[in-house]
Amino acid sequence: MLRHLSKLMWNKKKQHLLLVIEIFFSFLVIFAIATMIVFFYRNYRKPIGLEDKDVWTVHFDNADTPGSADSLAAFYDMVHEAVISLPKVREASYTSFNTPFGDAMNITAFNTGNKQVGNVYSYHTDDHYADALGMKLVEGRWFDKTDDAARYQPIIINQSLEQAAFGGEAAVGKVIGTDQDAHKRRIVGVVGDAKVNGDYRQPNSSIWERIDTNFRRDVTTMLVKVTPDADATFEGQLFQLLSNRIKHADIGISHLSDSRSNINGQAIIPLIIFGIIAGFLVLNVAFGLFGVLWYNINRRRGEIGLRRAVGATGGSVATQLWTETLILATFALVLGTFFAVQFPLLHVFDLPTGVYILALIFAILFIYALVTICSLYPGRQAAGIYPAVALHED
Amino acid sequence: MLRNYLKIAIAVLKRRWFFTFISLFGISLTLATIMVVVAFFTQFENPGYPDIHRDRMLYVTSMYFWGDGDKHNINGGAIGFYLYKHYASTLKIPEAVALSSNPTRTNTYINDKKLGLALRYTDEHFWDVLQFQFLEGKPFDRRQIDNGDNVAVITDDLRNDYFGKGETAVGKYIVADNTQFRVIGVVRGDVRSNEFSTADVYLPYSLSRGDLKSTDISGNYSILLLARNKSEIPAMRREFDEMFNRIPISDPMRYDHQKTWADLFLATYTRHLFGISMSNGHFRENGDGITWFYVCAALLTFLFMLIPTINLININVTRIMERSSEIGVRKSFGASSGTLVLQFLVENVFLTLLGGLIGVLLSIAALALLNRAEPIKNLHLFLNFPALLYGLAACLFFGILSGVYPAWRMSRLNVVTALKS
Repeated sequence: MLRHLSKLMWNKKKQHLLLVIEIFFSFLVIFAIATMIVFFYRNYRKPIGLEDKDVWTVHFDNADTPGSADSLAAFYDMVHEAVISLPKVREASYTSFNTPFGDAMNITAFNTGNKQVGNVYSYHTDDHYADALGMKLVEGRWFDKTDDAARYQPIIINQSLEQAAFGGEAAVGKVIGTDQDAHKRRIVGVVGDAKVNGDYRQPNSSIWERIDTNFRRDVTTMLVKVTPDADATFEGQLFQLLSNRIKHADIGISHLSDSRSNINGQAIIPLIIFGIIAGFLVLNVAFGLFGVLWYNINRRRGEIGLRRAVGATGGSVATQLWTETLILATFALVLGTFFAVQFPLLHVFDLPTGVYILALIFAILFIYALVTICSLYPGRQAAGIYPAVALHED
Repeated sequence: MLRNYLKIAIAVLKRRWFFTFISLFGISLTLATIMVVVAFFTQFENPGYPDIHRDRMLYVTSMYFWGDGDKHNINGGAIGFYLYKHYASTLKIPEAVALSSNPTRTNTYINDKKLGLALRYTDEHFWDVLQFQFLEGKPFDRRQIDNGDNVAVITDDLRNDYFGKGETAVGKYIVADNTQFRVIGVVRGDVRSNEFSTADVYLPYSLSRGDLKSTDISGNYSILLLARNKSEIPAMRREFDEMFNRIPISDPMRYDHQKTWADLFLATYTRHLFGISMSNGHFRENGDGITWFYVCAALLTFLFMLIPTINLININVTRIMERSSEIGVRKSFGASSGTLVLQFLVENVFLTLLGGLIGVLLSIAALALLNRAEPIKNLHLFLNFPALLYGLAACLFFGILSGVYPAWRMSRLNVVTALKS
């Protein structure tokens, strides 16, 4: 039956070519949008990995700071002391400019000595960073005072990087680096992954270095964890305190949760716009398909009447029509799948293969559902044809 | 003749309302979408408040340094104050050379409320090059910049937020970035997305906290060049390039090249999208990217229109075949294939123009809705003449493309088979 119908449809391929092309393009559009949705959803389900609530980001640019390295360190310690002693402040931490959910990033390569991992996010932070952001350590510890006299420069990596660089091995305690002894670094801790590019993006491999004398001059950012009752009045007090302490600086305070919703919006708004356009295109295709099928029924009244006369039930006529439409869609889907599988095969975008497979399944099911809906009403109409009337017309 | 065709067309449209609805739905929504996008783009690209002289302006916004061979150093940034002061301000051809810093974000706290502010440091020519409308007061001048007076020009939105609705601001003081500024002017705010002019507070550059004595040619500024008329743009660009090429490489140990561009407004965006590549640590230049931008935009529009067009062709084929008996009769009475093709094309163009009309109405409604919702502050979209022309062109493209193929298939119809059915 199926083979027979396929043959019939294949013989009329010229007549159906335009329909097939139309379904083919809609399939590609649906595949693209499904890929985005699947990818976003998979990322969305992973834990965020840090607490953005009640964390404020403070920027201070162009500050007039002491010239010598020692007095600079003392100066920053003093500012930190002043901030932390405010009543509504729980924790405060200096960090490099690349704060979570921010626009700025710093990318480096990570070299273990025998393996290189590219595209690693690099941060410079102090001892309080993990507490301020509520990041959980999986192994080892965060930076502390004992690192002051450490032989090797201490670093902390996240789980993604541990996986990428060492496979299943535990990374804590490893000394890495190919260069001379002075540049070797020791991993003191592994933290859980955090989605610093927002809820809908993947966590990146990341590395944290401790702020040292060389880097301190470039530090222009502080993360402040406050109590839930800290309001705009308190923010004004903090602003005042900082502008009194850090002379001559441009100071800006923003909330980490605002940055998070901002970066989430940047991810989701294009998806919504694309979704609306795709929805309109699909609606267009559905209408077209519906119209053509409906018209075809009217043209094939004689054929359908004859089939009814020799004993086919109304249901089987409707099923035949539906099956024909599915076969038509299959022609388009085979062609479309050929193009769609090129994306994972050629690694066009940096997405896991599983995402493409799920998206492909989703898109195929969607197209089948769409043509089914479009053929329901014409099918019912065909089932309602009376053989006597139809054959009489001929 | 034409009137007859139109009468037939209307009769056919009325006969099968469902098909008519599908056709009109596809055409009008596609057109409305395209026209809203074009309205967004023209609003973005065409000269408008406050840079109404955009067609005779060049923007110098970014600069790159890079090394040859094994020196994989690439560095980019905005323009330094030194480049403006010692080089750009000596240019002869421009009518005016203006300086505008990238916005600095800060907060101010008033009545237990927080206001986020964008500060922009400018020179006095900024107010000549950009035609801001002053609701109160006036801009700062050379003397105030040289004296380092704490004066500020603010927008009407900030005035309403800070001093209260309906209050005047000139002569009053505003605290921003922990400093008190005397308000000397209030301007009508502009569209949030304009990278070179938007801010809440405009300050003389002498108040900037960056180091003005630095000899770094890269920094935190943009330079706006205004030519006397449009035809002097190429000469102005040449003069700028010659001037820039004379500047010695800033850090010869790390870099072998430094480059910046005096660009038209659109190119300041397209250059970064299409004109520059930095793969594998090698810096490559590939024009200003405007051509590539238009090619990509045309390709996207084409793809967007493809599905509705195929749909339309499909429906037209169906509808035309329905009329095979009419075609058979006309053919047997001597109508040539050409006449019939022409008739169906006229019918189809009529249909698409009708859809186009609905599309125009839809886009007017959509734009009115967008203007009311103001997704971007101070944004006022309108259906301008170029957008209408684009819409009309798209309409005809639709009509002819979706009419030709079905008409051609129909005209090949055999008289005998056509009459038999």
